[in-house]
Amino acid sequence: MRAVRGALLLGGLALLGCGVVGLLTDPYVTGPLGVLLWAAALVVVHDGLWLPLVCGLGAAATGRPVLRGWLVVAAAVSAVAVPAVLRAGDDHGNATLLPLPYLRNWLLFLAASAAAAALLALVRRAVRTAPRRDR
Amino acid sequence: MDSDSSPARRRFDPPLPAPPAALRRGPLRPGAFRSPAHEPRTAVVLGRWLGAALLLCFATGLVSHLLQDPPGWLVPRLPSRPVDGYRVTQGLHVVAGLAAIPLAGAKLWTVYPRLFAWPPARSVLHLLERLSIALLVAAVLLELFTGLLNTLQWYPWPFPFRQTHYWTAWTAVGALLVHLAVKAPVIAAHWRRARSAPLPGRRAVLAATAAAVGTVTLTTAGQSVPWLRALDLFAPRRPGTGSLPVNRTAAQAGTTAVPADWRLAVDGPAGYRIGLADLRALPQTTADLPIACVEGWSANARWTGVRVADLLRRAGIPAGSAVRITSLEAEGPYRVTEMPAAYADDPLTLLALALDGRPLTPDHGFPARIVAPNRPGVLQTKWVARIEVA
Repeated sequence: MRAVRGALLLGGLALLGCGVVGLLTDPYVTGPLGVLLWAAALVVVHDGLWLPLVCGLGAAATGRPVLRGWLVVAAAVSAVAVPAVLRAGDDHGNATLLPLPYLRNWLLFLAASAAAAALLALVRRAVRTAPRRDR
Repeated sequence: MDSDSSPARRRFDPPLPAPPAALRRGPLRPGAFRSPAHEPRTAVVLGRWLGAALLLCFATGLVSHLLQDPPGWLVPRLPSRPVDGYRVTQGLHVVAGLAAIPLAGAKLWTVYPRLFAWPPARSVLHLLERLSIALLVAAVLLELFTGLLNTLQWYPWPFPFRQTHYWTAWTAVGALLVHLAVKAPVIAAHWRRARSAPLPGRRAVLAATAAAVGTVTLTTAGQSVPWLRALDLFAPRRPGTGSLPVNRTAAQAGTTAVPADWRLAVDGPAGYRIGLADLRALPQTTADLPIACVEGWSANARWTGVRVADLLRRAGIPAGSAVRITSLEAEGPYRVTEMPAAYADDPLTLLALALDGRPLTPDHGFPARIVAPNRPGVLQTKWVARIEVA
């Protein structure tokens, strides 16, 4: 265990050093500070805005596992779909870039998955509250 | 880390004073997070999934980088087979990267309360460990964000995508290994599920995360995996429906109007210039080859043209020579590309004149383009003007 940890630590520090030095010395990366600022901004947005929102929504949906599950799936799909929705039509004259109706697909997906989740929740409730029949 | 407070340890890792307790408010309060799934076993399971996705991204990304920008010693060793090699590795890169988005979200949610641990730093080493986690999170978020937006050709940031994505990947993997070293005891302790009663909250989190990963994969992977095409809702490319996608149009490259006197130049001991009609009169080869792009999309197409090896032999260039290919485009990072000998000699490497039986369109590289097996799309030079020994 000790040897593995030591190797991981030293190897990790070496790779980390490679990455940082590479970023600082790459002739094409003329403004490494900009990279740092964007990375820091992503952390601030993720940990300071997004996760509090998730925790708040999760707390509001306590005891409703299907709703929580749907929120998780919808959030993941939206993370991938919303950039395409925002960018749709901005193809620099390249018709093969972003060719799908992303807004329609996204809304359809949210509606269809919400309907499926609602159905699942209803079925679960019906199963739970159904009077037990003795055989 | 372990709370060993021997004098030797303290000298080497001086403790830090705790901030006044009055500052311990909001999320810093004990018990501020109530979900039972903020616990190590959930973090270990999600960490395994995320770690596998990130390491797969790193390995496939490295393959892509080495194919695009090989160091000198590697150039003669790059293989032109398997034909679909790059298509598979880069497809996996983007599929795993997209899967890592919900995985990273779930993992960070699980450990979110640890961000508000009290006291914020017990000792200098503890502070360094927390800073390394900040670096890990920042690097991973930057990788996922820039990678996702690159698939849309969207660059809102002031730095170059490729180099930044590459170096940040090393930083992220390095920070990941440091994280594994620091957390090894916790990981080992929770590697297997405890025999005691399962935690209901954990099962729900893992099930929702798995559903999210599956849904994201199924609705985007159609751009790389032909049999998932019917489920594709959100991928930025749609190969296989009528037309083969392109990354750079002729209008973007400034090559819509090819000079009327265009003749391919092949420079060598017996160099020559050859027009389109004469190229078409040479022995033609037809091959099914994929175009596979760094953005993850790929598509097979049927290319017809002259073998590059035949063109080189006609110019007296011996087998085993690496060549340089120059495009008609006025500028662009891939205007001039180098082709290692393994590709130049491969009988499937073509100077293609036709796509799916029809002459190339300007967007696909009219009058002639390179298409080679197992190569990134950006190196499949379009609008070829000159071929010479590198």
